[in-house]
Amino acid sequence: MLYREALNLALDYAMEHDQRVVVLGEDVGFYGGNYKVTDGLYVKYGPKRVIDTPIAENSIVGTAIGMALMGLRPVAEIMTANFSMLAMDQIVNQMAKLRYMSGGKLILPLVVRMPQGVAKQLAAQHSQSLEHLYASVPGIYVMCASDSITAFHALLYAIKMDDPVIFLEHVLLYGMDFPFEYLEGFDPFRARVLKEGKDITVVSYLKMVHDVLQACSWLEEKDGISCEVIDLVSLRPIDFETIYKSVKKTKRLAVVYEAPKTLGLGTEVSARVAEELFYFLDAPPLRIAGEEVPIPYNRKLELLAIPTSERIYHQLLSWSKNHGL
Amino acid sequence: MDYEVLMPQFSDTMEKGKIVRWLKKEGDYVERGEVIAEIEAEKAVMELQSFKKGMIKRIVAQEGQEVEVGKPIAIMELGERVQEVKVSEAPPPQSTKVEEKKPPEVKPQVIEKKIELPPGFASPYARLLAKEKGLELQELQKEGTIPSPAHAKDIENYLKERYFTPKALELLKDYEIDAGELIKEFPQTKIDEDLLLSYVEKMGIPKKIPVSSVQKSLIANLSKSFLAPHYHIHEVFDLSLIPWDKEITLTHWLIKIVGDAMQHFERLRAIYREDYYLIYPSSNVGLAIAVGDELYAPVIKEVNKKGLREIAQEVRKLREKSEKGALSPEDIGGATLTISNLGMFGIRSFDAIIPYGQVCIIAVGAQDQEGKAHINFTFDHRVVNGFHAALFVKHLKEKVLDKNYIKMLKKGS
Repeated sequence: MLYREALNLALDYAMEHDQRVVVLGEDVGFYGGNYKVTDGLYVKYGPKRVIDTPIAENSIVGTAIGMALMGLRPVAEIMTANFSMLAMDQIVNQMAKLRYMSGGKLILPLVVRMPQGVAKQLAAQHSQSLEHLYASVPGIYVMCASDSITAFHALLYAIKMDDPVIFLEHVLLYGMDFPFEYLEGFDPFRARVLKEGKDITVVSYLKMVHDVLQACSWLEEKDGISCEVIDLVSLRPIDFETIYKSVKKTKRLAVVYEAPKTLGLGTEVSARVAEELFYFLDAPPLRIAGEEVPIPYNRKLELLAIPTSERIYHQLLSWSKNHGL
Repeated sequence: MDYEVLMPQFSDTMEKGKIVRWLKKEGDYVERGEVIAEIEAEKAVMELQSFKKGMIKRIVAQEGQEVEVGKPIAIMELGERVQEVKVSEAPPPQSTKVEEKKPPEVKPQVIEKKIELPPGFASPYARLLAKEKGLELQELQKEGTIPSPAHAKDIENYLKERYFTPKALELLKDYEIDAGELIKEFPQTKIDEDLLLSYVEKMGIPKKIPVSSVQKSLIANLSKSFLAPHYHIHEVFDLSLIPWDKEITLTHWLIKIVGDAMQHFERLRAIYREDYYLIYPSSNVGLAIAVGDELYAPVIKEVNKKGLREIAQEVRKLREKSEKGALSPEDIGGATLTISNLGMFGIRSFDAIIPYGQVCIIAVGAQDQEGKAHINFTFDHRVVNGFHAALFVKHLKEKVLDKNYIKMLKKGS
């Protein structure tokens, strides 16, 4: 099932089973969504539940907060995470605070979906990864999905929650085909161990997970290094329990993310592991991340600015050779 | 134009093949009919010839990899030989799948810039380990026995060398035992083979033996064929009239007699498909041959047209090939019935599983003093029903006692 179809399925399922679920955003209705995630919902549920909004991100989130406070369960779509900067006030100052400041009297069953990341030559203003901004704000949950199974289950879970959730997707994942199955009792707050291994724990999320899996299969085939690959579904809170358990076994941690290295989400993961498991580490934690540049438009430069499976492979290999593996 | 080289289906039951060796590399030009790779499927290694001429652009399946039938193993650019390899500038097509990529080349400088520090440095975990084992890390580093910075692996290797003989180290791998456990168990002793084996016996640790690809296919096929609805017929045969000797053994005789009998029963020359049966014109009889731990079932083709001597020669040839592991797909495919003889080991009677895709197996027990032997037949009920089977067994029983027939066969040989 395509990633975007899995998201569509989750929305469709939620809307069918709960009248209070509504979808709003730019072009989500008649056009079916910029990335066709809301395709078909307008026809099925009508303009009252699938709402096309003006190009005004702060208002989209503001409206959704109002809807949620008054008893609906809105799912707002921001066309890309880059544009969500315009909605920062509503997200950080309202969405993240209202439950806390009302002493828990207000519930806020609200999901704000947005795709992010480097696609193909969308240039600096349309290619950013901004998960660390949201993951640093107390009061909201941040989830992301790396394949169709997580896309469906995590989004459905987020819609059913009474707390506000930022739901991150990756532009390049939409058209990818993944195996799909329905899982009973899926828990998005538990990181997924996609591949077991004994030498290195590699933590990643969103699209980078697939590059990591590719790099790790090369490492295993060519160099006999076995990696345990962990896919984070929730970025706030992070499931450190699973990570610690794995690092205690492998004694080595690498985190791979697409955003620039400085102050990215992997920085938090490696800092925590260093704090908690210092005496278990056989090598300094490694971050493989994007370069400290706005994403270039030129395709070759664009690919140089973010980790690719080849670069992940080389960095993991030289790091492990340098540190006694 | 791009052309996908697919994993071919060499036999009816083949589901996947393993790339044993690529004879061409990326960028090589191949003619039509040129051998490009060696592929192992089921029990045989076969050569893969190119159907087209062109340049091998990309090898998708690496050596040692198993690929399903019909899946691409390489990509060729068709056409005449060109001097320079063109690098296409076109962007890759928007595929919906994650593309299989080739592992990147390792640049040697990557490994060269290893960190070196004066004695005294170690990873936190290595330090913990050294403390646990009571090692003077800094002393050992000054001696040069352990590098600096030290890592867990260095400590483990040092302990292994100190506490284990090389033979014991090998056994450690065979039994997948954690070295640390043993060192704890036998502190202050050098652990040799005998000590390790006695420990293994005491703890009841199993030895791990990998399943060979030949065995894997056998196991997969056995489980599948056991699911076929089957039944047994057990009969005592009087084989006293058969004048077998060292040259032409009882097995050779039985192959011939059974092969002749199959001519009268078309269902025993059949292969079952969902909607139809495939009836082969001639009798192709498989023979179970054990070589070491492996079991092979090569086929003697057209038994009805061959004499005893010819059959004996062919069986000998097939046995040699099995021993060398050089059976070709022609050697193992096409049988509808297999004979398994354990009589030479004095087994009185046994029961066998039909090889996958076939309809019958005949399990031959030992002859007693009067020349009688227990023979067990297993039939696939979807192809041969009880009535057919009974007639077939009756026919065989009569044939082995038919003096003229036996005489004729003997003469023919």
